[in-house]
Amino acid sequence: MAREQKIDRSPVRRYFPPRKKTCRFCERNVRDIDYKNIDILKRYVADRGKISPRRLSGTCAFHQRKLSIAIKRARLLALLPFIED
Amino acid sequence: MRQYETVFLIIPSLSEEETEGIILKMADIISKKKGKMISKEEWGKRKLAYPIKKFEEAFYVLFHYEGKREIPAELERRFKQTDAILRYLTVIKETKENFRGKRKKVSVEKEAAVPEERKEEKTDKAQQEFFSKEAVEEEK
Ligand SMILES: [Zn+2]
Repeated sequence: MAREQKIDRSPVRRYFPPRKKTCRFCERNVRDIDYKNIDILKRYVADRGKISPRRLSGTCAFHQRKLSIAIKRARLLALLPFIED
Repeated sequence: MRQYETVFLIIPSLSEEETEGIILKMADIISKKKGKMISKEEWGKRKLAYPIKKFEEAFYVLFHYEGKREIPAELERRFKQTDAILRYLTVIKETKENFRGKRKKVSVEKEAAVPEERKEEKTDKAQQEFFSKEAVEEEK
């Protein structure tokens, strides 16, 4: 017990095994991400309207590229906000 | 010949007839230039995610058509001239012929036997399934 507490306080960071994240588009075999489908796009923007980074959403590079283009198109058509406050 | 998809936003302050008139005028350009309208969608008045020229909503219209490059160019020229158009966006629809993807090889082999129209349906379905699945997940 005492030993465990000691480990927690030590300056060495404890290792947290990362939760396995998978690309939700690959899982469902989606080829194109439609800029009109805002219900999906909304899941990938944070509350301020920013596109969530790959490290948080787990999206693969291929789909992240498609996703960011789709979000930018949706923003142009005022389907999604550029900034939300 | 390529397939294009154009979405444009009309100001909400026009009467129904005026709005319809603009849509017909734009659709006319496609037929005059010997293009083929594949589908025309009127989404109606929608709230804008941010105000444009002090308008809080706009009338959304989508044209999906096939034809030469001149058609989207002419449409966009007209959009610029029309004050009632707030925004527009044209994208090239990725069809089987012009899709260059990572998984091209696989998709060609796998989907060679599937007619193009059905393929289109499949992707739509996949997206729809995606959406409904996610929705269910959220409800939990
Ligand atoms: Zn992916």
